[in-house]
Amino acid sequence: MEYIRKLDLKKHLLTAISYMIPVVCGAGFLIAFGMAFGGDAGVDLTQPGFSFWDALAVMGGLALGLLPMIISTGIAYSIADKPGIAPGLIIGLTANAISAGFIGGIIGGYIAGYLVISIIKYLKVPPWAKGLMPTLIIPFVAALVGGLIMVYIVGTPIAILTQMLTGFLDGMGTSSLLVFGIVVGALSGIDYGGPINKTVFAFVLAMQAEGVNGPITTLQLVNTATPIGFGLAFFVGKMLNKRIYTKTEVETLKAAVPMGFVNIVEGIIPIVMNDIIKCIIATAIGGAAGGAVSMALQANATVPFGGVLMIPTMEHPMAGVLSIVVNVLVTAVVLAILKKDVSQRKEAELEEEDINLDYIQVM
Amino acid sequence: MKIVSVCACTVGIAHTYIAQEKLETAARNAGHEIAVETQGTIGTENQLTDEQIQNADIAILATDVKISGEDRFSNLRIIKVPTEVAVKSPNKLIKKAEEVLG
Repeated sequence: MEYIRKLDLKKHLLTAISYMIPVVCGAGFLIAFGMAFGGDAGVDLTQPGFSFWDALAVMGGLALGLLPMIISTGIAYSIADKPGIAPGLIIGLTANAISAGFIGGIIGGYIAGYLVISIIKYLKVPPWAKGLMPTLIIPFVAALVGGLIMVYIVGTPIAILTQMLTGFLDGMGTSSLLVFGIVVGALSGIDYGGPINKTVFAFVLAMQAEGVNGPITTLQLVNTATPIGFGLAFFVGKMLNKRIYTKTEVETLKAAVPMGFVNIVEGIIPIVMNDIIKCIIATAIGGAAGGAVSMALQANATVPFGGVLMIPTMEHPMAGVLSIVVNVLVTAVVLAILKKDVSQRKEAELEEEDINLDYIQVM
Repeated sequence: MKIVSVCACTVGIAHTYIAQEKLETAARNAGHEIAVETQGTIGTENQLTDEQIQNADIAILATDVKISGEDRFSNLRIIKVPTEVAVKSPNKLIKKAEEVLG
């Protein structure tokens, strides 16, 4: 176990995700905008006759299609530094070739990374060939071995796994969709873009690549609605004769709420930190409610990001709108009820948790 | 105690900077000097100078992702923690640093 922890597998995945997020946001926005105004992401840009919105949609869509490659490159780079980039790229594209999607990208990245380290460690070349190592030998050998592993060993199990998953999700009846929505919604609501959110995100993004749009719609709608709900809570609080936010928090909200409209939830983190438990309760309940609506009514956005911009891309746009509205209302009301008036808030120095020794490395 | 630190969380827009603030406050409250470099999604800010690293007693790396220039700290004792630890328990983290240095 100690050895596994030393490997720090999580760090490599998180590094890749941190490179991937700007791509998903940037490209997701492009395709959301494009599709919102009627663009078609399947248009051929080399033939005349495409619209401006088509161009946006295509640009965004192509970038999103390359996400497995970005993930694999990120992981390989995290493991093996610069020499890992080329093999990561090549093996990631191989993941696309075998339709192994996201999971294939992740597996490919680790394979590429560890192959590169092994080659550097164990492959001895004569002095005249030293220069060829990073330029030719490592990329070629790593990509060759890694690619073959992907095609002949990894490919089939992944295809089977994805088929099973898609079949399972397709076959879910309305009541199970509701439960699923509640679970995804609540999970997404708990940590405001933190590790749980990111893990669920990776999972549901992979599902969207298989054509299952429900879960990712749920997650992103929760991230969209949460900051807006916090904003609305201010006014609900007023109705209950409570000032639930300090001056600084109100200022923070002024930036955080617009960010919410475009799917960025992190803006409200400072507010959450001041009152963690109550905020989490409010967002989890709101998220569960919104999630249930969006899954059961099958809002199904076809883009992975965009906040309110996702609505025009949805199979059932009204379901998306309803989901956001429900989420916002529930979060706002629960939060306003739970929170005390600011005059009663203690500047409580919360007792810090003891540092879990598992997570600390001393070198 | 002179501390140098790098903070780098996954999304790179929130926890990185919160960790920076929390570490700075905790270190100063305990009477230490600290310089915190952040590697967020926007890039490296407040980059540590060679001098700062040379004069430091210990490095605290509050990182979830791979950071650039980790080899800068090869001559220092290093404490590596997830960003979350710096955000949630900065004072205990500084205490731990004090312990490590004896």
